[in-house]
Amino acid sequence: MVDFSNHPEMKGFFAATRFEADVYDCEVTGKIPSDLNGAFVRLGGDWLYPPKFEDDSPFSMDGYINMFRFKNGIVDYKGRWVKTPRFKADMAARRQLFGKYRNPFTDDPSVHNLDRSVQNTTPLCFAGKLFTLKEDSLPYEIDPKTLDTIGPYDFHGKYKSLTFTAHPKVDPVTGEMICYGYEATGLESRDVFLYTIDKTGHVTREIRFQVPYVAMVHDIGLTQKHVIIPIFGFVSSMERLKEGKVHWGWDNTKPSYVAIVPRDGEAKDIRWFKGPSRATVHTLNARTEGEKVILEAAIYDGNPFPFFPPIDGSPWDPTKARAYIRRNTFNLASKDDGFTEDKLFEMNVSDLGRVDDRYLSLPYRYAFTAYADKQRPFAEWKAGNMGGRVNNCYGRFDLSTGKMSSYFAGDTHSLQEVCFVPRKNGAEGEGYVMGVASNYAEMRSELVIADAKHLEDGDVARVILPFRATAQVHGRWMDEDELPLA
Amino acid sequence: MGNRRMVTRRKFIGQVAAAGAGIAALSLAPGAAVFAEAANVASVRKPIVSFHMDRPYVDWTGTAEPYYPPVGARSAEAASRLSEEAFRRMQCYA
Repeated sequence: MVDFSNHPEMKGFFAATRFEADVYDCEVTGKIPSDLNGAFVRLGGDWLYPPKFEDDSPFSMDGYINMFRFKNGIVDYKGRWVKTPRFKADMAARRQLFGKYRNPFTDDPSVHNLDRSVQNTTPLCFAGKLFTLKEDSLPYEIDPKTLDTIGPYDFHGKYKSLTFTAHPKVDPVTGEMICYGYEATGLESRDVFLYTIDKTGHVTREIRFQVPYVAMVHDIGLTQKHVIIPIFGFVSSMERLKEGKVHWGWDNTKPSYVAIVPRDGEAKDIRWFKGPSRATVHTLNARTEGEKVILEAAIYDGNPFPFFPPIDGSPWDPTKARAYIRRNTFNLASKDDGFTEDKLFEMNVSDLGRVDDRYLSLPYRYAFTAYADKQRPFAEWKAGNMGGRVNNCYGRFDLSTGKMSSYFAGDTHSLQEVCFVPRKNGAEGEGYVMGVASNYAEMRSELVIADAKHLEDGDVARVILPFRATAQVHGRWMDEDELPLA
Repeated sequence: MGNRRMVTRRKFIGQVAAAGAGIAALSLAPGAAVFAEAANVASVRKPIVSFHMDRPYVDWTGTAEPYYPPVGARSAEAASRLSEEAFRRMQCYA
């Protein structure tokens, strides 16, 4: 018996969906551009069974992968659960067996020692394969034609970390993937293993080092010479887990630590910098200019996640949960361990920003992300009262001029993470932005597609789903020459 | 505006309610069948502008009955009573 009545917030658009789906030849408004051939793959979560604890994190939701397949102006949709051992165990028991986020001490004894990962964070296309990523386990390989779950993948046995980041970086110059695992040797370990994997999927380098304290290491920056690894106030301990708490708590006293790792160096070559308390959950891009290493990201003032509460018992502070596009500059020629921080735009934005991936690790100009424009209309009488909590626009932020242009999704819509799809052989920023919008008036999801250079013109096309797609964490465009798609 | 008469929202709804009550009274009275045909004719009303939550909409029934949105509409309403913390606990990225 499935009962979500203890979760009154999961109603209307926010209710669990709990089904797999295929939509053949989706309804489309406008015209799908003829040069979009490939797939927009989304990964996120949904609750097959309600969470065992009411204060658990939404990051415990079961993984759900879904794909908009573009071919010759037609779009098909497919959505499937990621069928991990955890998912299968819950399904067999017909109830939630697993406890709080990354805390096995809160699980049902019957699943002791079972892989408790939910694959719900980032889809990855690499070396001709499709993967789901969740930072507490190895990647899971997925069949790109059927979206069936194949299983964990360890890169021919050479990837030794027990965990794999949700944010590997693929160098557009060499085709190599720079990736890592933290808590690499087990729960609450300070070990980080940093890898280079060549474009055929073989490990070519490994560096092992330790972080100053057990902390979330969610994303990194990549330049042609360095890897930038930010850690910040999300902390954990075995004591905390044994007390039955979620994995992370927020420690406001922790400074931000940033490791600058030479790509051709060893652990002894790592340079650590320290800065004020911040949360760099996701990065935009980075580059090395002489002795300076520069990271740009939408960085929060403080803790963005109330479900990872302050460890001192103080209330979560929503005023610190705002992200601004900032530039951190690390001077390798300096003698001290400080770095500079510049706020590039005064407006707060979604930290799920993207760049033209052909310029990853290189000098670049444009960043894209969602934001809430309070000046735009929102039709509460049709959509419901969201209290202004909608990301109704995608922005293109010109980091060289400080100007921006914007796309508005409509007065009953909120946008999820943006994706930039480059036009083949086009200049930087030429192509499309796309992302899924929640249409609260029609109780359905819509994939919006706009010309990245003419965002004010609105949709080029919109793919209409006749239902709510599961909530996305991250989505990626995958060209059809990268993957054997159906 | 030519020869159009201005009608306040309150007066307009009052007139519609009075008309409805009159028709109902007639249909319940002795000899109601005599008036049935007339009542049917009266029920074929023209679309009017009505209001829901102080927003105008075209009421195609002409009855000025309250607007009940179709299934799925106002689907974000579940979020209206949530604090910022409760909302972020549920939907930190969607």
